[in-house]
Amino acid sequence: MESIVRLSDWLYLLLNGLAGRSWLFDTMVSLPLDNALVKAGPIGACFVYAWWAGGGESDTRRRRSILLVTVASLVFVMATTKIIGDQVFQPRPFAHSQQSWHLEDGRLVETAKLPYRAPLNGGVANRYRALTRGEVEQNDLVSFPSDHAGFFVALALGIFLASRRAGGVALAWTGAAILLPRIVTGMHSPLDIAAGAAIGAAWLFAFQFAARPARRWALEPLTGWTLRHEALAAALLFFVAFESANVLTNVRDLAGTGEEIVDHVAGG
Amino acid sequence: MRAIAAFVLSLALAGCGALDHEAMVMTVEPGWTAELVASEQDGFASPDGLLWADGMLYVADEGGSAIRAWRPGTRPALLADARAGLASPEDLVRDSAGNTYFTDDTRGGLWRTDPLGRTTALVEPGRGMPSTEGLGLAPDGDLVVGDAPGHRVLKVSPDGKVSVLVGPERRIAKPESFAFDDRGNLYIADNSDNVLYLLRTDGSLHRAIADRSGFSPESLRFAGGALFITDSDNGKLFRYTPDDGLNAVALFGGSLANIQGLAADPAGALYVSVQSDLKGRKGYILKLSRKD
Repeated sequence: MESIVRLSDWLYLLLNGLAGRSWLFDTMVSLPLDNALVKAGPIGACFVYAWWAGGGESDTRRRRSILLVTVASLVFVMATTKIIGDQVFQPRPFAHSQQSWHLEDGRLVETAKLPYRAPLNGGVANRYRALTRGEVEQNDLVSFPSDHAGFFVALALGIFLASRRAGGVALAWTGAAILLPRIVTGMHSPLDIAAGAAIGAAWLFAFQFAARPARRWALEPLTGWTLRHEALAAALLFFVAFESANVLTNVRDLAGTGEEIVDHVAGG
Repeated sequence: MRAIAAFVLSLALAGCGALDHEAMVMTVEPGWTAELVASEQDGFASPDGLLWADGMLYVADEGGSAIRAWRPGTRPALLADARAGLASPEDLVRDSAGNTYFTDDTRGGLWRTDPLGRTTALVEPGRGMPSTEGLGLAPDGDLVVGDAPGHRVLKVSPDGKVSVLVGPERRIAKPESFAFDDRGNLYIADNSDNVLYLLRTDGSLHRAIADRSGFSPESLRFAGGALFITDSDNGKLFRYTPDDGLNAVALFGGSLANIQGLAADPAGALYVSVQSDLKGRKGYILKLSRKD
């Protein structure tokens, strides 16, 4: 296992070494991290393309079945990354550049600092400056596994299973524009990304496999419904694409608000 | 497809197994060093309030329902425990006569263990103290006690007379901890509304820190001209002065995030208690000292 961590650190140092040299490069690399449209817009577009890509009715039904199952798997991907993240305390690489100690065999042992090159512009640069002032988000102390890797790898793989053309673009965008910048800017280590991606892929394949028996009684009626009610299906698709751009943030916020409402009503 | 699924799942699990840094202290202010000085293996269960006095660390061991006195490097001595009626000792102070006073947020009341080791209720819970939180020793020798259900700060004389120092009309939600500065002003931590109050000697009450994101004061300690503050909600240790404002000294994460009590020794080292699992009676005492 140590060799995996060493490999991850080596790769991280290599990629993070690109940051902090050019304002323009750092700005471009930070763009997908700071801007939801740049980050997830192309993925949403690929999803919509795969939904409507040409072919006969049976082909359309097959693609839509895959995409619907993919969307269902995303909820489990996010839940899994959250549960593991709550159990495994692993600060972001940029936070690991600070002096720190970790608990080992009942003692506090000074942790080897991870060198870090801060980007010259963008949200991560601001977060790093805030960290050095002690203003750190709790979220920055939990980077394993990457929920973005889990979410977008599952989504892009699902699109790929539905449409090779759209999925190829989605996978390329996920790798180059969503995941790579997270390593370059020190938001995640390659190990965070690999674990998140593995969780995303695991849930996606598990769902696609488990959905086979449900194809006749659940998916076929559902895809048939989307064909008969294209306008309504398109309207619902808008919600899916919109929320994909926000990594289910609004859904999670909504669930929290719902919980507050239930507590409020139950508490009188 | 099953083979692919098995492969990616094993990769995910392998990634989880590679990480063993489940708890962490990160110093933000330069020049500090951190060490773990005690845990449940040293005779503590899950410590809360801390006090440094007479070369000893006095510990309100909430998880162990006990008050202990500990000289680093030795086993802690028991001053009082559940046999004397303690349930969840919260905060403690010690006067010049060697009496140790403490609050109890489950049992309520204000308790005293005298130098002979006898523990009695200075103020019974039934006398308007059903759950007591913060405790401070005023320069005049009186005690200030946080009455959480009543949203009040009470003043108690050494002979047990109770008066109201800050009434509920001043809207302090939960007086969790107190610290007097070197001029006799009283800082009050409200970890329900997340406000640090300052009660000046002229009786005026100010909101020194309020409406600040990522700040929930738990325990206060005035040392070396600055107010140190633990924040268990956000796992942070802060330093505050009116001139410099609020600055983080250290961040605590994982099983060390729930930092509670705070004490300072004469050399300027800070002791921080951590309740990693109150029900499971697990906790730590950490020491942060200046390298120089």
